[in-house]
Amino acid sequence: MRRLLFVTLAVLLWVAPCLAQDKVFHVSVTQIVEHPSLDAMRLGFLDRLKALGLKVEPSVHIAQGNMAANVQIASQIQGENPDLILAITTPSAQAVVQKIKDKPVVFTGVTDPLAAGLVKSLAAPGGNVTGMTDKSPMDRHLALIRECLPGLKRLGVLYNAGEPNSVVLVNLLKDECAKAGVALEEATAANSAAVYQAAKSLAGRVDAVYVPVDNTVVSALEAAIKVCEQNRLPFFSGDTDSVARGTVAALAVDYRKMGEQTADMAARILKDGRKPGEMPVESIRDLALHVNTGAAARMGLTLPESVLKRADKVIP
Amino acid sequence: MTSYAFFGALEQGFAFGLMVLGVYLTFRVLDFPDLTVDGSLPLGAAVSAVAIDAGMHPALSLVLACGAGFLAGAVTGFLNTRLRILHLLASILTMIALYSVNLRIMGRPNLTLLGKPTLVDLFTTASGLPQYLSTPLLFGLVTAFAAVVLIWFLRTELGLALLATGDNPRMIRALGVNTGGTIILGLGLSNALTAMSGALVAQNQGGADVNMGVGTIVAGLASVILGETVFGRRSVAWAVLAAILGSLLYRLAIALALGLKLGSFSITPSDLNLITALLVVLALTAPRMKAKVFS
Amino acid sequence: MLRAEGIAKTFFKGGANEVRALNGVNLRLDEGEFVTVIGSNGAGKSTFLNAVAGVFPVDEGRVVIGDTDVTAWPEWRRAVLIGRVFQDPSQGTCPGATIEQNLALALKRGQPRGLGPGVRRRDRELFRERLSRLGLGLENRLRDPAGLLSGGQRQALTMLMSVLVRPRLLLLDEHTAALDPKTAEKILGLTARLVEELGLSTLMVTHNMRQAIGLGHRLVMFHRGEIVLDIRGEEKRNLRVENLLTRFAEARGEEFTSDRALLV
Repeated sequence: MRRLLFVTLAVLLWVAPCLAQDKVFHVSVTQIVEHPSLDAMRLGFLDRLKALGLKVEPSVHIAQGNMAANVQIASQIQGENPDLILAITTPSAQAVVQKIKDKPVVFTGVTDPLAAGLVKSLAAPGGNVTGMTDKSPMDRHLALIRECLPGLKRLGVLYNAGEPNSVVLVNLLKDECAKAGVALEEATAANSAAVYQAAKSLAGRVDAVYVPVDNTVVSALEAAIKVCEQNRLPFFSGDTDSVARGTVAALAVDYRKMGEQTADMAARILKDGRKPGEMPVESIRDLALHVNTGAAARMGLTLPESVLKRADKVIP
Repeated sequence: MTSYAFFGALEQGFAFGLMVLGVYLTFRVLDFPDLTVDGSLPLGAAVSAVAIDAGMHPALSLVLACGAGFLAGAVTGFLNTRLRILHLLASILTMIALYSVNLRIMGRPNLTLLGKPTLVDLFTTASGLPQYLSTPLLFGLVTAFAAVVLIWFLRTELGLALLATGDNPRMIRALGVNTGGTIILGLGLSNALTAMSGALVAQNQGGADVNMGVGTIVAGLASVILGETVFGRRSVAWAVLAAILGSLLYRLAIALALGLKLGSFSITPSDLNLITALLVVLALTAPRMKAKVFS
Repeated sequence: MLRAEGIAKTFFKGGANEVRALNGVNLRLDEGEFVTVIGSNGAGKSTFLNAVAGVFPVDEGRVVIGDTDVTAWPEWRRAVLIGRVFQDPSQGTCPGATIEQNLALALKRGQPRGLGPGVRRRDRELFRERLSRLGLGLENRLRDPAGLLSGGQRQALTMLMSVLVRPRLLLLDEHTAALDPKTAEKILGLTARLVEELGLSTLMVTHNMRQAIGLGHRLVMFHRGEIVLDIRGEEKRNLRVENLLTRFAEARGEEFTSDRALLV
């Protein structure tokens, strides 16, 4: 008799969670390596889901840069039978998409989802996959520069032609400048020692200078800043760390916010039952705006009120 | 462990099993520590991916990958036998050079195979099995075939000369064998196997990635050691089988560890690096492990 | 059969360790001649053998075996003409290979190796037959790894392997020096038998004067990289150790001082 009571109680306790009103969603996360921006995306994602009122049981797997383990993690996730999979960065997403065709996959932190083969098109991904891309929106960078310098006619861009990422971004910038009717002057530096000369070559020929996220120029940033200050040439950058070092302004990806926007997409799949293949790939809505008023002053620029008001961070 | 994780470990074990056969060939048979594999694995992946991208049949792309791997191994062999560079150093040089070569071949750091016809896709359709079962079966068949060919080869006159090159090079030279040639041949075969392994792995992970070779030699050695320790190596045929079984065991151990969660503690892939490294240290230092057998 | 003309070799040229190991050595061997080679340590005996085998290229001189000038040939290429037995018993066989595999390797000496089976069934018969003549019971252990054999057994096996394919020149480099006296005697007996049966042109380096005097048709003595004595025929047959010492002193104007050669 006592045994029967015990068993009934055990069964009830076991079944109870299922009777609860809130469904618990199992979300498996795969991330290729630990890195501040990637971690920020993951935490932003999980926190945002919680804030939206969803009960989520996450299962996090980090491959520590080991590509073979990355593939086995995909198998592991398959076995976990999750309601949704979050894949952070390209290799993690590729491994999961290769194996799992019957569960929704949301990727984030992928620069080029098309080239990675994750989606058929950005507008209509098809299949069970969608997500967010972190490609720099050059149109918004150019718009910011023109907001600060309404009369902008000629823009100079400083970069290393040997860096593939920079080449891609500069080509995008070329297109945007053509659309906006701004002339683009290029100055390249093959190594950090050549940055000073390259910056000097732009003096007198352009109204403002821009540097994309280019490792070479950013490593010798102070030299370029010096030239711009001497020539009263406003210097804009593609990343926010450079603003702290002395460029005028930058619009950059806030990775935590990116995770949050990804969570919004995931919530639509989990709560509203949307199909991932019908959801277009999104790029970051909210960019962080950092400005450096001291640098602006040194370069002979007064930042407009509209910009200062919007700024997420103002450095004196 | 779920069945998905189990079969996932099997498919990795077989896919990398080809590479482990290659490491057995150089490390055990030829007594040549060959780090080229860290570069020839992604080389095979790159060549195969580019070929498939260009429309080549995936099976043919595997053959191309083999050829590329053979060349890579031959380069290391040439550096060692002709230019008299120390074997370890020669293999490192080739490995480093291959990073640039692989980037050139792919034209970018990552070349996707998603949406392209791979062997996995073809076999899955043909077999009618779900993908998580068809993949380990396919890789198992390929690896079994390679193992049979390798065992046959090591029993031929040329194969015997290769075994002797690693066992007693002085004697075999006095018997008329050009050990420079056999070393180049052995390294070529080993890296051809590894490149084929890379091609399979790329098809299993959705693309070729220039960084996918990092840690290959360590995983290979760990697999060889694990196989020998558990299964012994009474004969060449047995040693070849043990190598493949070792590869399976190694990946199963990883799967087990990845799924292990004791409260809030769980083994991460970086802990596995430590365990693997310890295994390899054991392999390189324990004298009994250095004794060679080839009958 | 062998013509070594003006062989010179210096090691570590230009360094502090520079040593002129061979100083213009001339030696002619006729077909079927069995020559023993003696000399003190560092006299150049083994170096000469290695020069003939092609282990290293010579600085000056020519090596002609039969009608072929092999001076430019690397060691493995000359192997088709030469059979070799080393001092260290472990160097003549592959320890990891079975006895039959070792013999199979020796059977293909000097020939290109292809994809045919390494050990053929009909070869096993040949191996058994040859091994049984050694009287060591090895013919019943074809599948045993050579590494399990004793030093004497391995050396006997090496001897067999060196003549399995009849060589034009047999080079023996102190091949009994590392064996105990009883085994050494056995191996020497085997050597004498094989050389006579097959009529082999042989160069045997030894530290042991009695061995050198007792075996072969001719005795050659090295000293400081040169040949200082060359005794053959009747003269050799009547040779005694004391004579040898006197002859040496006469030739070089100094005493022959090598305990190892004398203490037998």
